[in-house]
Amino acid sequence: MRRSVFLTILYLAVVTPFFQAHAADNIAARLNTLETELGRQSEIIRQQQQTINSLQQELTEMKTPEVQPARQSAPPLNAGISGLFGASALTNPNISLVLDTFAYTSDLTTDELENRGIPGYTTSGLEQRNGFNLRAAELFLFAPVDPYFNLYAALPVTEEGVELEEVYAVTTALAEGWQVKGGKFKSNFSRLDAQHPHAWDFYDIALPYRALLGDEGLGGEKGVQLTWLPAWPIYTQFGAEVFQGENDLLFGADAGSGPHACSLFVKSSVDTTDNSTLYFGPSVLFGKTRNSTVVAGAEFDGDSALYGLEAVWKWKPTNSQKVTLQSEYLYLDQDGTLTDAETAQADALCRRQDGFYVQGIYQWQRWRFGVRYDMLELFADSFERAGQEQDMGATPWRATGAIEHNLSEFTRIRLQYNHDRSSRDDRGNDEAILQFLYGIGAHAGHSF
Amino acid sequence: MRKIILGLFLLLFLATPALAELNVVATLPWIGSLAQTLGGDKITVTTLLKPNHDPHLVEAKPSMILAGRKADLIMYNGLDLEIGYLPLILESARNPRILPGQPGNFDCSRFVQAIDKPTAVDRGLGDVHPLGNPHYHFSPSNIKQVAAGMTDTLAAMDSANADYYRQNFKAFSTKFAQKEKEWQTLGLQGKRFVAYHKLFEYLAPGFGLAFVGYIEPKPGIPPSAAHVEGLIKGMRDNKPNGILTTNYYGKKESESIGEKSGVKVILLPGDVGSMAGTDDWFAFMDTVLTALK
Repeated sequence: MRRSVFLTILYLAVVTPFFQAHAADNIAARLNTLETELGRQSEIIRQQQQTINSLQQELTEMKTPEVQPARQSAPPLNAGISGLFGASALTNPNISLVLDTFAYTSDLTTDELENRGIPGYTTSGLEQRNGFNLRAAELFLFAPVDPYFNLYAALPVTEEGVELEEVYAVTTALAEGWQVKGGKFKSNFSRLDAQHPHAWDFYDIALPYRALLGDEGLGGEKGVQLTWLPAWPIYTQFGAEVFQGENDLLFGADAGSGPHACSLFVKSSVDTTDNSTLYFGPSVLFGKTRNSTVVAGAEFDGDSALYGLEAVWKWKPTNSQKVTLQSEYLYLDQDGTLTDAETAQADALCRRQDGFYVQGIYQWQRWRFGVRYDMLELFADSFERAGQEQDMGATPWRATGAIEHNLSEFTRIRLQYNHDRSSRDDRGNDEAILQFLYGIGAHAGHSF
Repeated sequence: MRKIILGLFLLLFLATPALAELNVVATLPWIGSLAQTLGGDKITVTTLLKPNHDPHLVEAKPSMILAGRKADLIMYNGLDLEIGYLPLILESARNPRILPGQPGNFDCSRFVQAIDKPTAVDRGLGDVHPLGNPHYHFSPSNIKQVAAGMTDTLAAMDSANADYYRQNFKAFSTKFAQKEKEWQTLGLQGKRFVAYHKLFEYLAPGFGLAFVGYIEPKPGIPPSAAHVEGLIKGMRDNKPNGILTTNYYGKKESESIGEKSGVKVILLPGDVGSMAGTDDWFAFMDTVLTALK
């Protein structure tokens, strides 16, 4: 503090006379004034430097006794905290809030968007409306529970109310690379599924996810996860999960009387160079299904298995540039009975469908440029009802471009354009989104 | 066939090395280098960041998590410098030995007198470090304390080699005393500098320098045209001894300001190994201080 006051005085002492000198008309007079001033100033600077040095000397001497005990234990950081609840202020969990809001425009009306499903996959339409939209204010809490568990909660607050998207405990003290997670959480079977919407590289989830799992992927599911990271030369993580299975598109809450969804996955990673990393792995998500989202007015009851493959490559050639290439492939194998709600006629339904997306992000300083292409029915396109192959129409696809500006780590502004041909009719949905994301508070770091 | 698979599986389990050497993971290059100096051939050091990586912009790569999984001891800078990736590594590594509170969790900043502790913090002020300036590897007095702390920890965790570590620390201290004398004769007292980022602050109390301006108006916030203009005007009048920056952070901006203000740009190594001839901490400080002369 004292030092900064001195520095300010020093700075003013040097700069101010220069301005006064500018007022003088006569150049010689100005030079003279300058010379005298300079002489005087350098004397002042010399004297002040002496004062600074002696003060620093004093300061160092004052500090020396404090340094010694610091070697034994950590210095108290907030020893000054007091009040009714004393130090409990230090034991609060970490809290953060992420505001996710956007303006949306499409050449379709809001009604048309609402009814825009993907025939053969889902009857659910798009939720966004032309104009101003608020996706959520996501509230995050996390903290260690005790030396054995960390607890995380994600509570998106929407206009409909508070949702309990995730709340789970993770073990920290198990040895040999084991970890158990339990509660309600987003599955780690695939990449986009484990990410919260604010961490996506685009405003919306990739098309195969929307078609096979829904707008936010599998979403938070109640269950248990077991993972193992062996101390091998190459990063390899094995995981298994058991879920209640409440996702409307893939499982359905009433499909079984107990937990009726499971997943298995492996994730591997190697550093291809000092500045680049490859991350990849296969997964499978399987279980019992009962829902009425595949065909309008009919209930499906059967078994599903969703196979996935993910690959991400990140390259950081310099500190201000980053390239990310990412792709995932999903393949659905579903068999069961489709019962018409009115006629009660039951037909066998057999689906073998797949989809993929590929995306690239180039980051330069505070700017990010992204492109994405998603497509369904790449290799598998079979929708058999009562033994009859159904022709659903043209192959669904979508192309996306986005520009993002991050004013700081905590503000993200994104402009995105989609040309969406997922509804198989002649009408494309040309949509533009201007999205604003803000984060405040202590937010846990995002995984790779 | 089944026997072979079983055999392979067993092999993988048993192959997990039961090495006598301490497996040390360091986040930053200077930490890894200091640990190696003190630990010698009794420890294996894995350093997570490369010398030219900006320590503020790091992602927890899976290879870092794997390193944490195998570590007996993790050493880090602290003061929230690694806040963006270290908590994630500690949790994902699934290794209870390196969790906070365990002897295998070594926060170097516990041995440091931090400067620039803000009295009020909000993010309107930019990326402020609430616990104080974390770049204390420019401060000899603090590094000596860290080295002493490291020695104690190594000696405690590997008591069989305790004498070896203490001997290495003694050698370090002798060199330190000699270098400290050399550095004080460089005549850096009273020099005034402009810096790009608040990276070199610890040089000020250590060597009697002063920082008279910053190119970044607030930490982590890039400068506006108006700020740069004001700075250049001030620098023309004030004639500081140089503009300090690293080759990975704000080099271009510093060079353009240097050209316009007539003040020379001095490129300093940001960490051990980030420039030629900065292979250990002493060489790093030599390079920094000689450049300031």
